[in-house]
Amino acid sequence: MELLDNLALGFSVALSFQNLAYALLGCLLGTLIGVLPGIGPVATIAMLLPITFHLPPTASLIMLAGIYYGASYGGSTTSILVNLPGEAASVVTCLDGYQMARNGRAGAALSISAVGSFFAGTVGTLIIVLFAEPLTRMAQKFGPADYCSLMALGLVAAVILASGSVVKAIAMIFLGLLFGLVGTDVNTGAQRFTLDMPELSDGIDFAPIAMGIFGIAEIIVNLERHLTRTGGTIKVTSLWPTMDEVRRAIPAAIRGTFLGAALGVLPGGGPTLGAFSSYTLEKRISKDPSRFGKGAVEGVAAPESANNAAAQTSFIPMLTLGIPSNAVMALMVGAMIIQGIQPGPEVMTKKPDLFWGMIASMWIGNAMLVVINLPMIGIWVKLLTVPYRFLAPAILLFCCIGAYSLQNSTFHVMQVAVFGVLGYVFVKLGCEGAPFLLGLVLGPQMEEYFRRAMLLSRGDPMVFLERPISLGLLITTALLLLLMALPSFKKARKEAFVEEEG
Amino acid sequence: MNRFLSKDFLSGLMFICFGLAALYFGQKLALGTPVRMGPGYVPRMLSLTLLALGAVICIVALVSGSDPVERLKWKPLTLVTIGIVCFALLFERAGLIPALVVLILVASLAGEEFKLIEVIGNIVALSVLCTLVFKVGLGMNIYILRGVW
Repeated sequence: MELLDNLALGFSVALSFQNLAYALLGCLLGTLIGVLPGIGPVATIAMLLPITFHLPPTASLIMLAGIYYGASYGGSTTSILVNLPGEAASVVTCLDGYQMARNGRAGAALSISAVGSFFAGTVGTLIIVLFAEPLTRMAQKFGPADYCSLMALGLVAAVILASGSVVKAIAMIFLGLLFGLVGTDVNTGAQRFTLDMPELSDGIDFAPIAMGIFGIAEIIVNLERHLTRTGGTIKVTSLWPTMDEVRRAIPAAIRGTFLGAALGVLPGGGPTLGAFSSYTLEKRISKDPSRFGKGAVEGVAAPESANNAAAQTSFIPMLTLGIPSNAVMALMVGAMIIQGIQPGPEVMTKKPDLFWGMIASMWIGNAMLVVINLPMIGIWVKLLTVPYRFLAPAILLFCCIGAYSLQNSTFHVMQVAVFGVLGYVFVKLGCEGAPFLLGLVLGPQMEEYFRRAMLLSRGDPMVFLERPISLGLLITTALLLLLMALPSFKKARKEAFVEEEG
Repeated sequence: MNRFLSKDFLSGLMFICFGLAALYFGQKLALGTPVRMGPGYVPRMLSLTLLALGAVICIVALVSGSDPVERLKWKPLTLVTIGIVCFALLFERAGLIPALVVLILVASLAGEEFKLIEVIGNIVALSVLCTLVFKVGLGMNIYILRGVW
């Protein structure tokens, strides 16, 4: 039983005191930002990237993963209690969760969402364990041409599920790829786009870009919109759901878990998509759809399970293939590169302790979150009363110090300022930051694989069509692009995002 | 509504500018051959694609129109940027505390409400916290106040 050996190794790593402490820290931070509106998991992970530089690799990834799924637990708390989604994935939970709270069932809604999330997290972790090895084996057969096509597929697929114009998102990918090429060319040593600045010869650091485009730009936009909080807080009474509620919640949570897990693996998928789809599914199969929006238990159990399952399974393409499927995963890839680990199939074979330790810690983190969220609910609700005018300057300050600490240089702080302005321009022009980030992370690798593939084929671009794996991947990419051009698909996509925003 | 001030047209323009800039700064890089690509080959490909995409976005925006750009509010953008730049300039020259004070003051001005007492309280709390976490706790090699600690 190799699988059990691997899991045992994982748990021995994850249960070390240091890693437990970082998992707890990550979960606490994640819950905190999930509760606080106006700052999401992407911005937080981006801002904490420099700090992970000083930690051991396993601990840093465990902490970042904790932030990611902690945010989805924390976000549900505020959705239920004050009708404010702390982050995008819990927007749907507001619909029925807050209504349940108004009917006096706040405690039941909270415990159903926490237990449902825990169940989904457990299943999600098991799915990662089962799929990690076969996928990694498959990936090891890939040649440079196959990798190049796989990355193209990953980038294009991520675009479909992003909201807004497809052409703009593709242009953002190319812009990201270009920014990824800044620095010294690996093969020839030539300086590219460094504008004669010696600081840029190692490339633009990933962390200042991510901090600027996601962190700083988000703060500026929030300050513009005068982020204020309304809505009274609801008292939590008994945490126990009634028998009837349990009977309704269990099948919904199971359906939500599997739908979320399936959608999480897709490039561009992730918690938000999983939550919306499972809510729609529950509403469609319900005998009495009119109950939805008025405090239906299924409307809390299903999306909460789905977003957590999707948060777990979106690690699969990143861990096995090194292809990030959404902005958070792109940041995780960035964190690995900062630590000197090249993400991809080699991670599992060369660093089994890191790979399995991280997976085991996900399950432990989920268990911790149930404990953090349920008995400590009062503390998190109190935090909601901290006004944004205290938070914004403090977050800015931590960004600046974090950027400085990367290489003890104020040049990085300046970069944060520049990319903050650029990120603000992106927001104003309706250009998504996520495709840019994916392009940026994959840019250098993709160029490397492309050049190697062309060298091996003596300059014949047909190599991408002659290798069966590469051909299959490229056909899928082309089909996706065609699909997006179809009028009926365009309409459906538009409708899906209107629902999401509303 | 002016079609040239729409989100899509301006973003197309932005992509074209980035494409042109990449072509300009990359003009001296050797292209090489498809077999042995020089450092300029892939950047050239990418910048040309970006130019083409930018042009497509502009044309589509002019033909079918798109959402107008929201009005810019200059205050938060400029104050936050100025705050970060001041921090970068002061941090090594003067130390953490002066840089922190300037950043928090300037950033607080960007918000909708400015109460001096609150801001001073925020500054004091953050100064203590940062000194404890970064200097004492993590042992970072930074000046708290240059010439003093």
